Amino acid sequence: MDIQDLIALGDKLLYIDEPKFRQIVELLEQMGDHPDIRRTIAIIRPRMVELRIHRRPTLKRLFCDPFEDLFETFGKTEPMPLSVIERALMNSLWPLVETTIGKERLKSYRGALHDGPQRRGLAEAFWAECAAIVADIANTAAGDAGRRDGAMDLRLTPDRMRAMGDIATILTIAPEVRDLKAALSPKPVSRLHQDHLEGIQEAGRRVARSRPEALKIFVLLAASRMADPSALLGGLWEMDLGLKPVDRATLFMDLSGTVMAQIEDRSRSLKASPERVPDRMAVADLAVGLMASLDATRDAMEQSRNKSFDQRLKQVRGSVHEMVRSQVLQDADTGIVAALGGLDGGADERTQLAQAESQARALRKCSTVADQLGLRGELREMTQKTTATLTAKARQALGGGNAGVGGGARSGYTAIRMIELLAGSAEANKVMDEILNGGRR
Amino acid sequence: MRSLTNFAPSTFEDRGAAVAFTTPVLAQTRVRKDSREQLEVLVPNLSEGRGVYVVPWKALPLAFPMTVHDRMLHDLIAKADGCSPDDIRKAVLQSARCGLAGNHAVEAAEAALRDDDEQRLLINYQLIVEALKAVGLESTEILRAGLASVEGQRLTRDLMSKAAHSLALEPTELYSRIAELAVYVESIGVLTSPKPARLRRLMRDLQGFRESMTDWATDNVSEAAPIGGFCAEVAEHTINHARTVMKQLDQSVASFETLIRQWDTKRLLVRKAATRLSWLLDGWEYLIALWADSVTKSRHEQDLAVHDIFRVIPLLPKDETRLDQAMAAEKLLQANRRSVRAYVDWRSGQLDVDLVMRIETLKGKAA
Repeated sequence: MDIQDLIALGDKLLYIDEPKFRQIVELLEQMGDHPDIRRTIAIIRPRMVELRIHRRPTLKRLFCDPFEDLFETFGKTEPMPLSVIERALMNSLWPLVETTIGKERLKSYRGALHDGPQRRGLAEAFWAECAAIVADIANTAAGDAGRRDGAMDLRLTPDRMRAMGDIATILTIAPEVRDLKAALSPKPVSRLHQDHLEGIQEAGRRVARSRPEALKIFVLLAASRMADPSALLGGLWEMDLGLKPVDRATLFMDLSGTVMAQIEDRSRSLKASPERVPDRMAVADLAVGLMASLDATRDAMEQSRNKSFDQRLKQVRGSVHEMVRSQVLQDADTGIVAALGGLDGGADERTQLAQAESQARALRKCSTVADQLGLRGELREMTQKTTATLTAKARQALGGGNAGVGGGARSGYTAIRMIELLAGSAEANKVMDEILNGGRR
Repeated sequence: MRSLTNFAPSTFEDRGAAVAFTTPVLAQTRVRKDSREQLEVLVPNLSEGRGVYVVPWKALPLAFPMTVHDRMLHDLIAKADGCSPDDIRKAVLQSARCGLAGNHAVEAAEAALRDDDEQRLLINYQLIVEALKAVGLESTEILRAGLASVEGQRLTRDLMSKAAHSLALEPTELYSRIAELAVYVESIGVLTSPKPARLRRLMRDLQGFRESMTDWATDNVSEAAPIGGFCAEVAEHTINHARTVMKQLDQSVASFETLIRQWDTKRLLVRKAATRLSWLLDGWEYLIALWADSVTKSRHEQDLAVHDIFRVIPLLPKDETRLDQAMAAEKLLQANRRSVRAYVDWRSGQLDVDLVMRIETLKGKAA
């Protein structure tokens, strides 16, 4: 197949069957590092991640290995790293690193790609050389900050300048990062266990001894391997990384600030607007996730007896409160009950029912965080009000021996289903028993 | 509680028929009759432990928190005459049509019932054609006149009277035998049918499942790979048995004249084969849909799906095969322990709604 044909397929590659997809990835890899190939790979990367396709080892991939966890993520399920490195920056940086090292020396590092006794040493030497080169590039670029860099073909924004510095720093501690990745595997880690904490502590101590300034980025790398990065904060306070108490407090404050900023960003991500109809389930998922992050951060702050983030924590809690109130609770009953009216089998019915189910589930999901948000009363009131209306609808449709399978009965049973999604199976079963059997079973 | 090996059923009736519950812990559990003809349900691997719990049918809602759909299905099965796969399917479609398992399940159940009606019409016509063919009569004129037209029906009656005469039967007797045969083979259809019936389609899908699972388990280093391999083997044995039964049935229908002439003995064989086929393939629709849904997902989700399939895989009863599949499954369980996977929210004891909805979607695909 011609390269142009492959590239023309674009996002169609996301839907072809798995064996063919694997074959195409293999073909793309053989075609080398070309901008068109990179664009195609960028399109299909989410599926490659999903299928965990084992990529051919290359020196470029080895270069990225220590900082790959900081690359931007795809989809809603993966959390964004606390400090992001753009793939585009890495793609612009690598050719410069490659040219500076030179073909001959690069060839001598090839052994780092294959199993054998030479692998470890060669990889470490390669990372050390790359670190020095990236640091040089970053230093030279510092004078052009804000302008477009000709060699890299990128505008050197403050974020990219910071990311370049981060890459250089991470490459200097690449061996410790390798151990960290081994300790925190497989990614994402949902709960920190003792062996995880010991792994982080051991590699962290080595970093603190050899390059204390790299400790923050090292911890951010550790956080990026977690399902919820804020979960690391609690463990971190108890960890002995061999730092002086003052340094430890500074590092902790620094990291707490980064975690807090990310939580604040997330809390702004689903702001209601007149143009946007809220996806109530997405809002509920976000609210539950944010409250878990807030809890973890608050616990860590309490352990460290630090009150400096109290105000920001309170503000985020306030914005989650508002988000749940205005986008999940408000008018939830109208949408849910209205769906029962249009059960005529059309395409609209499907969409309306799916939306109503999503609203009911969102309400129920939010009940797990309603107490913390001070919304318990409002949520209970909304749930009771909706349940009462749905019960009346069900009674009207199914009462008096109408419990067959007709149009009317269908809306009655759908009302009971909505009660189940909203208030649980026990409540729905009780309502159904009352209507169909007069409460006997 | 009995262990999986101690439990190993001897017959299909002992194994029970799979029930498409949407409550995760009860999904695809089996119902059967006890020695006093009372219904009981077999719940395997509760909390991922070993063995099978036998719970009286009436006590099921007290023992497990159930979805409202399952409560209705529970009632319908309790009120039904029997608990064969066909009886259970009827109850499952009836409860799904109500809307308690969501809109998708309603649409799927209605499509399945429409398909049943079409197949019923088709098989009746095909058996009439077979009857005419058996005595050397042509059926093309009926088709030309139109099956539902007055002319078409008159032609059918005339030709069938001639056929009955050739077979030395009363026309009503021939009609009644054909009608009875149609009921037996309704879900299987005839070999030459342009539109394969439900169990033929299911066999084809099971073949696809076996191939896909074998491919997945080969060269796979995951802990679930040997379990996937076992599931593929069970599917293969089931296909082989089902193929033999299907062949017998097809041969019986192909020798239509003998079938009708020796009706008293042959009808028993046909009925037995048709019943056996529905038992053999019982419970596979859901597992095939579960696997088809998982193949596009992550490795971890595929591993979990394989464990879920293994939990309720329809092992062949002892009387059906020389292989002791229950023993093989027990050995596999011992070799592959796994952490507990809860089906309820551990904080509240509430059902995992996301899991319930996933089962509802799969149920829709499997209907």
